[in-house]
Amino acid sequence: MDILASTFFDWGVNLQLLVSGLALGAIYAVVALGFVLVEKSTAVLNLAVGEFLMLGSYFGVAFFMERKTNIFIGTLVITLVMALFGLAIHYGIMRPMVGQGFFAIVLATIGIATVIRAVVQMWFGPLEKGNLTALPTGTIEVAGTSIRWVDIIILLVVLGSVGAFLVFYARTRTGLHMRAVASNIEAAAGVGIDPDRAYAITWAMAIGIAGLGGVMLGHFTPSVNPALAAIGLRAFPAAAIGGFTSVGGSIIGGLIVGVIEQLAGGHFGTKWREPVAFGILILVLIFKPTGLFGQKDLERV
Amino acid sequence: MSSSLKIDGLSVSYGPIPALRNVSIEVPEGGFVSVLGSNGAGKTTLVRTITGVLYLQKGKVTSGSITRDGQDMTKLKTRKIVTGGVAQVPEGRMLFPQLTVEENLRCGAASRRDLAGINDTLSEVFDLFPQLPPLQNQLAGLLSGGEQQMVAVGRALMAKPSLLVCDELSLGLAPLIVRDLFLLLDRINKEGVAVLAIEQNARIALQHSTYAYALEVGEIVLEGPSDELRENQEVQDLYMGGGGDSREAYAAIRREVNR
Ligand SMILES: Nc1ncnc2c1ncn2[C@@H]1O[C@H](COP(=O)(O)OP(=O)(O)O)[C@@H](O)[C@H]1O
Ligand SMILES: [Mg+2]
Repeated sequence: MDILASTFFDWGVNLQLLVSGLALGAIYAVVALGFVLVEKSTAVLNLAVGEFLMLGSYFGVAFFMERKTNIFIGTLVITLVMALFGLAIHYGIMRPMVGQGFFAIVLATIGIATVIRAVVQMWFGPLEKGNLTALPTGTIEVAGTSIRWVDIIILLVVLGSVGAFLVFYARTRTGLHMRAVASNIEAAAGVGIDPDRAYAITWAMAIGIAGLGGVMLGHFTPSVNPALAAIGLRAFPAAAIGGFTSVGGSIIGGLIVGVIEQLAGGHFGTKWREPVAFGILILVLIFKPTGLFGQKDLERV
Repeated sequence: MSSSLKIDGLSVSYGPIPALRNVSIEVPEGGFVSVLGSNGAGKTTLVRTITGVLYLQKGKVTSGSITRDGQDMTKLKTRKIVTGGVAQVPEGRMLFPQLTVEENLRCGAASRRDLAGINDTLSEVFDLFPQLPPLQNQLAGLLSGGEQQMVAVGRALMAKPSLLVCDELSLGLAPLIVRDLFLLLDRINKEGVAVLAIEQNARIALQHSTYAYALEVGEIVLEGPSDELRENQEVQDLYMGGGGDSREAYAAIRREVNR
């Protein structure tokens, strides 16, 4: 087969694909992290994850393309604004809907997604923008292959932020209370933890981190356009690998999906990327529905 | 004597369905009081109301009040109630199964502001339950039922309560473990913490409490000093497996009360 003959055993190409796959996977990982966090804590299936990611990319256009804001300040502001957006969603939509059925709330998230898409089109127009270039654009030679700086930086930024989040989640008092609410809301309320506050923080973090992911995606992708929302849906295969409950598992899941997808796209053509990513989702759901690292049900009594 | 908890004419409904009707209960400061009641009597509803988590089940207080030291706490948020010294051991233990034993215990201190004191309380709890320190880093969901109940009691104690409300501590546990847990409640009580033990297991509850109430279908049908209730034939028939149909025994109690 000529495919095999061309690039399959070209380790330089494989290294490039691996690094860019990890960068892309890191973006999936933050989105999956936000998705799982919200799902686990508040039992809301947030189908607008992709749109939040895309919104982050468009904020990137507004800050870095139209205004040349400093990358650090701009990224920080975007993350914070998106976090405020998360708060607004909690207080404005999710809290008033408490007690409504599962589907009503899922439909509300689809409504949010539609509104974001519409607002983005009104604001930025339907045409695609170029990619963001606020991060270094050059390449570096590694083992005779040129690797994009952006890929390396995206990977480091995301892993750094996710790591910081995990430390917060695992080690701080607020993180403990958030985990308690996710574990058993009635028990958490019974010891005096305010579930509402924990939900608000969860939404703020999930959407804030999606904003960060969006800025990174805007640098990764060749163009910022409304179709980026579809990229956010890769959070689902990533989350599935984590069994939809494991925060750490979904991060690893994101990296796995990103790498497999880049390898498939690089060797067999980009049209393979999406089917491969969602093929993983279906395979995991069929053969390992609790995820590759999913926790067993610990409720014994 | 001043009271640790005074419930006065409390009525509670879930939507249109009443669960408690005109319930009045008093726990003296440092006292040990029990509330007996069979399945569906309204025991858990009573606990939810005292601890302010009724709203999670869409329950509403329709009349009556709950006061501590003359201060109304019927409408307080759980956080305030816990800060005010009321901690609960919920029915079915309700631990956080995916969290470790230590994390579960620390959650009990969620409403405390004296962060520095929390570690001291943790050591006190570990002293009280010597079985727990070796399990400190175990996930709570993997413990045995008895161990889980210890964690649940310990978690409540982490709030440094002056009133401990226990909802069916004995549920699903072996008699020896239940006995040990109640001996522990005695110890906690001796240290000045008032105990309100809500129980289906009347035998053990009456052994350890000084005063008791019987709650049936949402109403207090009987009350008195625990040793008197222990001798009461109806109480024996209804709660202590004295034989006979419990419905009939319940009817007998109603006759007794209404006489
Ligand atoms: N969340 C709820 N929603 C509606 N009804 C409830 C709820 N919880 C309890 N009830 C009803 O209230 C009554 C008392 O229940 P409960 O307080 O759980 O009793 P117990 O703890 O003594 O078994 C029962 O009739 C029960 O069906
Ligand atoms: Mg009950």
